[in-house]
Amino acid sequence: MSNCEEITRPMTCWGAKRRKTDYIDGRLRQGERARVAAHLKKCEPCSFDVEQMGSVRSGLGGLPELPAPTSLKTGLRVMASVEQKAVIETHGSRFERIWRRWKLRLDEIMRPLTIPATGGLLSSVILFGVLAFTIGTTTRGVTYEVPVLYTDHINPNLVPVELRSAVVLTLSLDGSGRITDYAVRDGSDSFVGSTTRLQYNNISLPEFPSVLAMAQPISRDIRISFTPIVFRP
Amino acid sequence: MAQPLLGHPGGLSILAGAESGVSEEDARILRGLRAGIEDAYEELIERYEQQIYSLVYRLTGNQTDACDVVQDVFLKVFRGVHSFRAQSSLRTWIYRIAVNEAHNRRRWFVRHCRREISMENERSEQGNSLESAPDLGRSPFDQVLDNENRKRIESALTRINPIFRAAVVLRDIQNFSYEEIGEILQVSLGTVKSRILRGREALRRELTQKPDQNLAEVMAYE
Repeated sequence: MSNCEEITRPMTCWGAKRRKTDYIDGRLRQGERARVAAHLKKCEPCSFDVEQMGSVRSGLGGLPELPAPTSLKTGLRVMASVEQKAVIETHGSRFERIWRRWKLRLDEIMRPLTIPATGGLLSSVILFGVLAFTIGTTTRGVTYEVPVLYTDHINPNLVPVELRSAVVLTLSLDGSGRITDYAVRDGSDSFVGSTTRLQYNNISLPEFPSVLAMAQPISRDIRISFTPIVFRP
Repeated sequence: MAQPLLGHPGGLSILAGAESGVSEEDARILRGLRAGIEDAYEELIERYEQQIYSLVYRLTGNQTDACDVVQDVFLKVFRGVHSFRAQSSLRTWIYRIAVNEAHNRRRWFVRHCRREISMENERSEQGNSLESAPDLGRSPFDQVLDNENRKRIESALTRINPIFRAAVVLRDIQNFSYEEIGEILQVSLGTVKSRILRGREALRRELTQKPDQNLAEVMAYE
């Protein structure tokens, strides 16, 4: 199709609509522009449409640039300064810049965790150090004042103990705190016997719950010292 | 310590050497940025700060967001300048980053902060920065009318589809060519035309749909 035919051929509304953006922006070739202009002269709706679009364009074109806030200007310069310094320090090495950036990020992540972690570890060490002395399987013996009746030699079943000097009674306990065996020692003699004889001798201490309440019951020997008390009628 | 080569006669010219796709001026700035020259950073900010802020403000519609996005844009430019392959102009590259960042921020806002009401927004809308650009050649009455009309257009602009808005702002306010818009938005020329057309039509609808706002009146003062 020749150029003359293009100019003379009338344009439809659809054609004008299709070209209106290019027409408004001045992007049409001269021939095509003339055809659109000719159509707009004849067609009022198309003319009105293009006129409105042109008004929108000129309205937008009249909008001024929005002034950037001062804080943004300052912020950008500070940022530029930091970035410039980084470029100089890394001598333009991309790898080094990436490494520094990740190192900084890691540092930022770890820093908030460091203080709580160190504090927690330190406090747990101190607490352990303080409580370590109280942790143990042995229990210190407790001194009891055990009343023991002195008897003479009338009853042969009784243990012939004269409490004229200090007597040490060693009791063997089972895991439940019951006496399973005993031994009596004083300065001159010692006896080993059954629990029955001990009870006959009014030494009746079948259980030691107060001692055992402080720790796990274990089978152990308990030594009890007796101090002689003389009753004078 | 940075060497302020740009301010000196023959300063960055020692680094000069046009790269493909960028002008001599852009190449000079790029080399300065890569070498860590202070004046290059300053020149880049001076040249693009205002334009990028205007664009991003109009795309996000929020001053606070616009400031954040502009900072992100420049940070990306400073850090990405080493990998910039100069296949497009520096201006187009920066604008592309700005448009993408603004869209990302808008999407993030839609996902996370849609229901929050920002007092900052209200303040910035009340104290529209358009008012701070008086035309001293016109009467106060005309200036008020101008400001009113500009506000209406700005307001209508925020209500149209962001995809079309970006194309319209780049074309009609920032005066980019269709080809440059295609590079910035990374779309074909046909898509650019279509977006501009649809954006303008949407804007016209926004401006004419209110009975008390006659488009002819709005535009009469332009």
